[in-house]
Order: sequence, then C-alpha cells, then structure tokens
Amino acid sequence: MTGITTHVLDITTGRPLSGLQVELYDVATDPPALLNKTRTNPDGRTDAPILPAASARTGQFELRFHVGEHFKVSDGLSDVVPVRFAIFDATQHYHVPMLCSPWYFSTYRGS
Amino acid sequence: MAKEDLLKPARRQFALSGLALGAATLLPAGAAAQTPAPAQASGPIVLQGVSPRLTVHALDTFHGAPATGLRIDFSRLDGERYKLIRTVTANANGRSDDPLLIGESYQAGDYELLLHVDDYFASKQAKLPTPPFLSKLPVRIRVVNVAERIHLPIQFGPWSYTYSRGS
Repeated sequence: MTGITTHVLDITTGRPLSGLQVELYDVATDPPALLNKTRTNPDGRTDAPILPAASARTGQFELRFHVGEHFKVSDGLSDVVPVRFAIFDATQHYHVPMLCSPWYFSTYRGS
Repeated sequence: MAKEDLLKPARRQFALSGLALGAATLLPAGAAAQTPAPAQASGPIVLQGVSPRLTVHALDTFHGAPATGLRIDFSRLDGERYKLIRTVTANANGRSDDPLLIGESYQAGDYELLLHVDDYFASKQAKLPTPPFLSKLPVRIRVVNVAERIHLPIQFGPWSYTYSRGS
C-alpha cells in the first residue's frame, strides 16, 4: 500500500475521534493547494486514504486537523493543528496518526 | 527584559539519591551551569507564580537532550498570513533566553512557532532520508486568556513530535 492515511484518537476518552474535519494540502506551492477534505469515521480514520495510492508521489504535504471546532473548549491550545511532512519515497505508505486532547497533540510516522 | 526575571523562579534541588549522579552535581552551582553537557546540567526551572507570559521548551527525543541551537521562527497570525515577530535559538536548556511574549507583548491571538528541525538534525549529522520526514515543523497555538501563563513544551525527533500545554 502507498499514499497517506491518518487515524485520530482522543486521549481524554481513549476512543477514536469521529467527525473531525481533516484536510490534506500540497505545501510545495504558495499558497498550499488543497488535495482532499474529509471527516473521520467512527473508527477515527478516513473512509478512503486521504491520499490514495493512485496519487502517491514524492512531495511536501500537510495534514490539518480541525480540533478547535470539535473540542469546543474556550481555552484549547490549538484551533487547527498542521502536520507538515515529506514523502521521500512514493513506494512507501505514510500513516500519520494524531493523538490529541484540547491541550495535547502528538503525531508520528506510523504503520 | 532582564534575564534575571527568568531565573527568579525557585529551582528545585536535585535529590541526591545514589552514586549514579555524576560529579557535576557536586560542583558549585556556577560551575555546573557552565558545563555544556550532559543534557540535564541544570535543574528543572519552575515557573509557578511568575507573571503571564508565553514560554517554550524544546527537547530532542532522538538524543535525549535539550534542543540547543534549534532555530524557531515565532510569528503571529495577521489576517491570512503569519507575520514574523522574531527568530529565537534554543539555548543550552532548550529554551529561548527570554519569554516569547511577556507583559505588553503577551496578547491574545494565533501564533506559530516554526521549528527548523531539518537544519537541527543536519547539524547533529543524523542519518535521515532526503528530504527528511519532518523539515520545518509548524506548531500553532492560540492565546485566549492573557491573565494566564502558557508554557509550551515541545518534544520532537526526526519521525515524531508532541506538544502540549505545560506548566
């Protein structure tokens, strides 16, 4: 499998975070170009890879997680959380999860 | 802003609980502070009770050390664009020498810290793909209540990062 997938988990509940708006941008251009916009499903994933295998390519990408409108707390640390990363080998799969609370954000290259 | 302001908070003393702690802990405080390594050369800095401000602490989880030398471009959202306020370099403790915002400059708004982790790991001669997975890492935060201090610890490696509201 190739392309980009994500998985959003709410560490305050220990559950997948569903209904979260997630966008994928190509940030090699200025302004960044929107490639996909979707919402997480009940498993905290997107129904289809946010960058499908057919579109896999090297480049600079950015996922944006719209956590503010989801958590709806007045003092949340972040509104939209960007995760900017490179695909340096298009034959590899890039799984980029987000573990979060309104005041904590963690991401990594997963599998 | 005077540097003394940062140093005012009481520093917690190390609990000397074993031989594992090196000779550095036996040196006078001044001598220990000048020691470039190991990573935890100085005790934790306690910010409890200080005036409202935004502070940052960057830690390199790849080397288990403060991210000394890490360049951070600090910007504020102005309309649709983040506008550079200033560039800071993480000091020996992984912090900026002065708070990012304090006093009159500590205003509500949306801010970005752009961490130059590509240059940082290149300077450490870390073997990573080209381009690396993480290059210029944006951390975006919102300051809502300027009566409350925000401490922002950021832990990063070449393949992951975490940030949170600290204390």
